Amino acid sequence: MKLTRRLFLGSMGTATAATILPAFPAFAQDRSIRHFWWGNPTRDKNTFNVIDLFQGANPGIKVSGETIGWGDYWTKMATQTAGGNMADVIQMAHTFIHEYVGRGAIKPLDEFVGNGIDLSNYDAGANDVGTIDGKLYGINIGSTTQAIPYNIRAFEDAGIDVDTLAWTTEDLAAACAAITEKSGGAMTGSEDLSLYLENFEVWVRSTGRDLYSEDGKLEMTAEDVQSYWEFWGGLRDAGFVEGKDATVILDKGMADLGITKGTTAMTFRYANQVGAVQSLMTDPVGAARVPQRPGTGNGHYVLPSMFLCMTRDVGDIDAANAYIDFWINNPEALKSLGIDRGIPPSQMGRDAIEPTLSDVDKNVVAFFGGVQDQVGPVPNATPKGAGEVRDAFMRTGTDVVLGNMPADEAAGQFIQDAESILIRANR
Amino acid sequence: MFRFLRRNAAGYVFLSPWLVGFVFLALGPILASLYMSFTRYDMVSPPVWDGLGNYQYMFEHDRRFWKALQVTFTFVAFSVPLRLAMALGVAMLLDKGLRTIGLYRAIFYLPSLLGASIAIALLWREMFGVDGVVNGALAMIGIEGRGWITDPDTSLYTIVILAMWQFGSPMLIFLAGLRGIPRDLYEAAEIDGTSKWRQFWRITLPMLAPVVFFNLVLQTIEAFKTFTSAFIISNGTGAPADSLLFYTVYLFNEAFKFFRMGYASALAWVLLIIIAVFTALAFATSKYWVHYENERD
Amino acid sequence: MKTNVIDRSTVADPEADLAHEIRLRQKAREKRARLLKHAFLMLLSFVMLYPLLWLFASSLKPENEIFGDLGLWPSQFQWSNYTEGWNALPVSFTVFYANSAIVTVLSVIGNLLSCSFAAYAFARLTFNGRTFFFALMMMTMMLPYHVVLIPQYVLFLNLGWVDTYLPLIVPRFLAADGFFIFLMVQFFRQIPRELDEAAMIDGCSPFKIYWAIILPLSLPAMGTAAIFSLIWVWEDFLAPLIYLNDINSYTVPLALRLFVDQEGQSAFGQMFAMSVLSLVPVLLFFVAFQKLIIRGIATSGMK
Repeated sequence: MKLTRRLFLGSMGTATAATILPAFPAFAQDRSIRHFWWGNPTRDKNTFNVIDLFQGANPGIKVSGETIGWGDYWTKMATQTAGGNMADVIQMAHTFIHEYVGRGAIKPLDEFVGNGIDLSNYDAGANDVGTIDGKLYGINIGSTTQAIPYNIRAFEDAGIDVDTLAWTTEDLAAACAAITEKSGGAMTGSEDLSLYLENFEVWVRSTGRDLYSEDGKLEMTAEDVQSYWEFWGGLRDAGFVEGKDATVILDKGMADLGITKGTTAMTFRYANQVGAVQSLMTDPVGAARVPQRPGTGNGHYVLPSMFLCMTRDVGDIDAANAYIDFWINNPEALKSLGIDRGIPPSQMGRDAIEPTLSDVDKNVVAFFGGVQDQVGPVPNATPKGAGEVRDAFMRTGTDVVLGNMPADEAAGQFIQDAESILIRANR
Repeated sequence: MFRFLRRNAAGYVFLSPWLVGFVFLALGPILASLYMSFTRYDMVSPPVWDGLGNYQYMFEHDRRFWKALQVTFTFVAFSVPLRLAMALGVAMLLDKGLRTIGLYRAIFYLPSLLGASIAIALLWREMFGVDGVVNGALAMIGIEGRGWITDPDTSLYTIVILAMWQFGSPMLIFLAGLRGIPRDLYEAAEIDGTSKWRQFWRITLPMLAPVVFFNLVLQTIEAFKTFTSAFIISNGTGAPADSLLFYTVYLFNEAFKFFRMGYASALAWVLLIIIAVFTALAFATSKYWVHYENERD
Repeated sequence: MKTNVIDRSTVADPEADLAHEIRLRQKAREKRARLLKHAFLMLLSFVMLYPLLWLFASSLKPENEIFGDLGLWPSQFQWSNYTEGWNALPVSFTVFYANSAIVTVLSVIGNLLSCSFAAYAFARLTFNGRTFFFALMMMTMMLPYHVVLIPQYVLFLNLGWVDTYLPLIVPRFLAADGFFIFLMVQFFRQIPRELDEAAMIDGCSPFKIYWAIILPLSLPAMGTAAIFSLIWVWEDFLAPLIYLNDINSYTVPLALRLFVDQEGQSAFGQMFAMSVLSLVPVLLFFVAFQKLIIRGIATSGMK
């Protein structure tokens, strides 16, 4: 493929190329790699800054930075994968890493660890989620954990005094009631989290099970689902959480959240996203633990909000290794990246970003430190089809929220649907 | 051979850009997608032959396929006539001599310029939400509103309204068509004392028939393929309760979210057949109502 | 003026008086109708404009007010969304506009030329397989684009065209968009056939007929096609997304997508500001080109 491209360009001549073709990195330097990530203006600036730093330190290697927003990223990624033209280094999300690794699109990195990529600074266990079937596929470039972002002013106004790092579902229900009553109904306590599978995951894990078993079957049960939907249904019926009209909007972006619109005091996100919530609000935002039922175990876990992966289509492996290593070990690079991608999974990284933290960042870092003793083991790998199961969860849950189906019946149907989805996806 | 060339040369010369593009750029991918529809293809590993498996699953097991069909047919049935009526009505209003006409034309085209961006999605949800502008306006005339866009019974119709609101392109085509109608026909009718209503049926509509036909066919095709508006407004999910699960939204998710490009291709070819049937019907009936100026077929 | 008319009518004979009366009433009725029409159009204009007003208002709001406060009026006018938004991305919008301009101008030229060629063949020339090819052309419009995306990507990759503008421009010179062909066919068929027959007898070549008769008589259709073509190419998002990798080659719609991260930090205010600006070129073009549609009344004189 590469050969064809070169031949074609060579025969075309530079005159036409100059007018029609954008800059072609392949000819500028001898060695080049492509790095593809999903981003936003801040992240893009930070990342291009790291690329400049890297190129300054490695004059022989040219890095082509490629970026686009989250939703479009996966369409383009799938297309490039199908064409055998993936970038050398890509950013991965924990929701997709199993889909790509399971199909052989990602290169295992074990042979390069200590031999091009230095992971000695990393916290113990920081790369557990990125290790699949005993091989390291994704390097953690920012840790995160589940979180309940909450409106600090609303909590204070309603006189809620509870340790949000240790609270229970009962405390959450009481807080929702207090906030709703205090505001006269203008602001409810929380979004109705019935349809957030990620929040439900904590609920299941607190019983010691995972969503999926080690061999890729369902481990969550109809009872888990039913109890979860009934818990939120109770709050919904009492009017302490947002009404059904807001709830049935799925996959909400930052702008759709009750907390950013000012209609609720709480929502569910990952810790690294709390800063983004804050940027759309005037009231200060804090991060709370996902409350658990009294007497249950630790449902939270630490996961990489993003991974850095090397792809099947990588060209210059040494250059890619050098780049990845620079990314995770160079203090200047780490400082430039900040906590936009999550908390650096090494002490060295955390030291590097320390002076750059904003107020909300400090809250997040403090929260992250605070939940460390409450996190459980990393969950089993999700099987192929997990994304579709998540969709089914939201879809069946919508029927419950809209009152079309009782929670017990819906829970049974969801489990049934999920099982057939897994069978079809793993044929 | 020589006679063949002489009879056909001009036609093929003029057709050649299209022909070259079709053969070299379009045909291959189209056939490839047909092939993929008989395979299981996750886009990472090579496709695996599956015979009629995809089609069989679609018709026998896939509830969401039927749901998507239902949503899409409902949308087509409502949006196409409404949008065309709106476009033709406004085009006729704008056709005749108002001095500020250029301004109006630009204003009416603006919504179509906005397309289906993230901004439109946010705005639509805001307008048709529980506390939105629409409910505010309804409250003024004493009607109690609801969450139009979040209620599965009504959400689809907000997309129909969006399609109506973006009537700019058919309007422009109607305008161009109206401009082609000779003014003296109307002048003659005026002298005969024909009413405006009869003028519309006797002159405007028959003279405009080729353009109406074009708009009807194209709008139907586009309506069946409606993607972006529903995709963006439902955050790509077809929610609430699959009420915005347009056929192509379902197809896209099957392909790019769930890695089933083979199945998505099968879905696409079924849609192609459905659209082709409707288009063929339109062409077949057109000889009864579309007459081309001075054309002897 | 009006009083003049009445003054004269009082002294004139009764029959003329009646005629004046009728004409006056007719004028009054027409005026009422015109007022009604204006009122209706203005109301409609407001409905059509509201979303744009909302977009514009949002583009002037501070980031933390856009979604919390649904009113149209910003508490403070943050014009910096425009000035800073222009340079907020790693590459300036000047570059994105230049890229978009190159792609758009070439694409519009390509579309108009190649589609009018094909349309002329379909509408006016007889050749074997005309119906068959026309049906094929219609078929290309019916297949959802998403399923040919990957085969097409592989094709362009093998040609070495990925990360260049060629996949965006070349198909347009090869009449890839059936919409325009069909549109032009419908308009070409409306042109009286006597014209080309007469020209043919005079010894004109098919090309001469296309160039000297069909095109000049189809200005409304060509104007419409130019407007659509420009707007759609300018706003085209999927093809640039798939085929352009280097951020320096991004077009405006692609750049707009860099502002919003559903999962994290976004810059909505700047995104809205740049969205508003991105409408300006197309709107200007629209205003300029719509005259073509309106002026193209040549056909009415030909009968």
